Amino acid sequence: MRVSAVSILVLLAVCTLGVAVLASSLYRVQVNNVAQFRKTLVNQATRRISVPGRRGRILDREGNVLADSRPSHDIVCRFECFQRGGGWSNTVNAVDGEITRLATVLRLPRALTRERIARSLHDSSALPLTVWRDIPDAALARFAERALDFPGFEEVLRAERVYPQGGLAAHVLGYTGRGRPDSDTGDAVVHYYEELEVKGRSGIEGYYDGYLAGASGERLVRVDARGFRKDDIAVEREPAHGPDLRLTISSGIQAALEHALKGIFGAGVVLDPRDGAVLAMASSPTYDPGEWKTRYRELLNDKTRPLYNRATSGLYPPGSIFKPVTSVAALIKAERADGAFAWTPADTYDCPGVFVLGDMRLKCWDRYGHGPVALRKAIEQSCNTFFCNLGHLIGTNALFTTARSFGLGARTGIDLGGEAAGAISGEPWYAGLTCQTSIGQGMLQVTPLQMAVVAAALANGGKIYRPYLHLRDEGEAPPAPVRTIACPADKFEIVRQGMRDVVEIGTGRRIRTRFGEGRTKYNLKVTCAGKTGTAERGHGRKDTWITAFAPYENPTVAIAMVVENGESGGKTTAPRVHEVLAHIFGEEEATR
Amino acid sequence: MKNFLLRFNWILLLCAMALIGFGIVFIGSAGSTRTVAALQNAWRAHALTAAFGLGLMFLLATVDYRKLLDWAAIPGHLLSLILLVIVLVFGAKIYGGRRWLWFFQPSEVAKLAVIVCAAHVFGCFSDRLANFKGFLIGLLIFVPPAVLILAEPDLGTALVLAPTALAMLLAARIWTKGLVTMLILALLAAGMVLGTVQAAERQVDPEAKARILARLPFRPHQISRLRTFVNPDSDPYGSGWNLRQAMISIGSGSLWGKGVGHGEQKFLGYLPPSVSMNDFIFSVLAEEAGFVGSFSVLLLFLGVFASSAFTAIRCTDDRGRLLVIGVTALLFSHMYINVAMSIGLMPITGLPLPFISAGKTFLVTTLAALGLVQSVAVHGREIDIQDQ
Repeated sequence: MRVSAVSILVLLAVCTLGVAVLASSLYRVQVNNVAQFRKTLVNQATRRISVPGRRGRILDREGNVLADSRPSHDIVCRFECFQRGGGWSNTVNAVDGEITRLATVLRLPRALTRERIARSLHDSSALPLTVWRDIPDAALARFAERALDFPGFEEVLRAERVYPQGGLAAHVLGYTGRGRPDSDTGDAVVHYYEELEVKGRSGIEGYYDGYLAGASGERLVRVDARGFRKDDIAVEREPAHGPDLRLTISSGIQAALEHALKGIFGAGVVLDPRDGAVLAMASSPTYDPGEWKTRYRELLNDKTRPLYNRATSGLYPPGSIFKPVTSVAALIKAERADGAFAWTPADTYDCPGVFVLGDMRLKCWDRYGHGPVALRKAIEQSCNTFFCNLGHLIGTNALFTTARSFGLGARTGIDLGGEAAGAISGEPWYAGLTCQTSIGQGMLQVTPLQMAVVAAALANGGKIYRPYLHLRDEGEAPPAPVRTIACPADKFEIVRQGMRDVVEIGTGRRIRTRFGEGRTKYNLKVTCAGKTGTAERGHGRKDTWITAFAPYENPTVAIAMVVENGESGGKTTAPRVHEVLAHIFGEEEATR
Repeated sequence: MKNFLLRFNWILLLCAMALIGFGIVFIGSAGSTRTVAALQNAWRAHALTAAFGLGLMFLLATVDYRKLLDWAAIPGHLLSLILLVIVLVFGAKIYGGRRWLWFFQPSEVAKLAVIVCAAHVFGCFSDRLANFKGFLIGLLIFVPPAVLILAEPDLGTALVLAPTALAMLLAARIWTKGLVTMLILALLAAGMVLGTVQAAERQVDPEAKARILARLPFRPHQISRLRTFVNPDSDPYGSGWNLRQAMISIGSGSLWGKGVGHGEQKFLGYLPPSVSMNDFIFSVLAEEAGFVGSFSVLLLFLGVFASSAFTAIRCTDDRGRLLVIGVTALLFSHMYINVAMSIGLMPITGLPLPFISAGKTFLVTTLAALGLVQSVAVHGREIDIQDQ
């Protein structure tokens, strides 16, 4: 025999060795490294899908809903039901054809292009494709009838942001868009989004976006080799609804303020001088945040800039409404200087009708002069020469220090984005500018919100509060003032009396009185104090101001309002402020 | 009849049937994700083919292999050569190769025909062929079918003939020195090819890489398979996809597996469905049956080899021994290459796993080959019985 048994045994040994090699390799792969391969399998076959939570509502102080989430019926298409062999275009064609067929049945226009379908399929074949958003009830009914004929299409409920009061408090609320949640940034885990979250872009929606949004949930979906969804594995985390946000805004006052500003360019802010709560804030022209989604391009390009919040971002020279600040500056300096600065509020200044300093001539509005006036009368009469002289006497340092302590030249810190800081000084500086500043001209730039804070401080005896919009819970400690103006109460009272005189007998009578038909007049039911301002802006343009507070004895409301291109504060703006105050306090026919 | 029952290699039959059982189960599992009815029911076809094959096995076991070899060895080889020529001319072109003639693949039949012919020639004339002349005759038997199969092209099937031929020639002690030298040279050549690919993979510049790879006498898809073997992560979404996904399937199977029919890789289509019931069925099996299942399969194969070796040793005739050695070497090569490529130990080659992969011609051929082994078991001892 030529073929020996040994050679057979050698062959068997080779076979055994081969089997041993394979078995040991298999053991290494299947038992030792199982964790690694499991992980790779899970990673390639699992998609983490983020599900947004329902956004919280925004309420006003009385509990009226200003912003809400309503259900929107969307029709989505699940790609995995149209999976076709061959190239991707076969699947795209199948989806495309079915959408066209469904469009005729639902009588809806086709909203998606073929390219859009192809892109979605390519980027996220595991996610449903939204074919129609927010379909009308009739189409929804037709879909419910015929849904069985269209496997792969589903109706899903999603949230759409709505503003039930229309455009009320638009600039406070802000608007929303869609985007990825903030929590996504810097996260190593890759997320997919079935739909993008409603995200606040400005106003309260933007500032409190994280609070309102709640926490998004997470779903795990298993996908096949081509990325199509196969099944849902687990709900990792249920989405948490965002809590409601209650504002200090009072819808009634807000509506009155918006009505008063209708048709003009301007802004107004109503504060509660006792704690800085914003009762109303409006800017005109305005818009409806519910229309943002459909009209955003138009709104952004609008020359009148309806999206711009003049109340917090608009910068204006204050004009005569700055004079109370100058007065307080002088009173503080007189108190501190201890005789070195020899001026008392009782000192009179003989107004000649013009103030001359070097080659600068500042005219008083009464060109024949007011004659001798003291502080209280000067405020009532808004005498320019008196305040130019006073500013000249106390100097820039004292004036600016007081202006800063009133919060001018810095952001108030309100819980709203996009606030402007304004300015109280500029370069180069010369003596005449001090005089101009003391009557609210010169380099001064203020926002209506800042002037509302000033009005509130004049109302409450010098306490500066940070204005705020998020209503505090009951039982929460009332906010403490940011600082208090160091001016004795008896001296401060002189300024307040001067401001009451402005309303009672001075330039701001229309704050108190509305002239009705015939000879009837209507007065506010409460005593009010205020100051008018007509600031020159150059090119003959005037910004007309009112700051006011009421009731005089125990103020609960402080208001600042500006109207661009007005005639004068007393004529243009005062009646509008009257309208707001009349809404709050009521008015009665004057008994004459 | 009593002799038949006593001498029949029952262990070989049991191992083969158990392996066929694995095949039916996992072809069914792999087919369950398919939409075409023929593929869904491929497990049934596998069972029917196996029944036919087992019948053929019993039939061949009753026939004395010596008579069979006397009559059919040379004509069978010539017939298989003719079939290989016909398939090249008239064969249906599928996936870029002409491998199919009507309902079967002549290359599978040729494997068996070659073993039968070689066993006959060397068994009868081994004493006179123990030199270089014998080697030339060996070339004459093995090379023409290999060349024709290579022309289809079917590199895997052609290659698997090499270890088979080697085993048979070495066992017949034909030109041993020359063969060993050639084996060493072949290993060196393989090492050089892999070295070249490795050198190319190290090149950052794609042009330099292409220039190095152009030196290799292979087709583009073969080169990309070699590259995947050398560097499995080079192209995980292209040529490396199959290997990567096969590894993930097997690796995620763990010790006990995910349960029959619960393989995620197959279910989700990461393991390409076009290969999951053929060349990559071991991945499906290892994922669903775990290491326990895959190791059992290996042990059953070892049972097939060991019981065949037992039969060969008990056989007292060169032709019978060579026949069994050839069949065993062929099955082992198939099994080793198939499993090794699934776990990245060898470059990917399209070779089926005996008994388990779906493939009717190969299954029938395999069972017919076992029938010859059974014939050796039943009739191979008759000479010494008569001598006593």
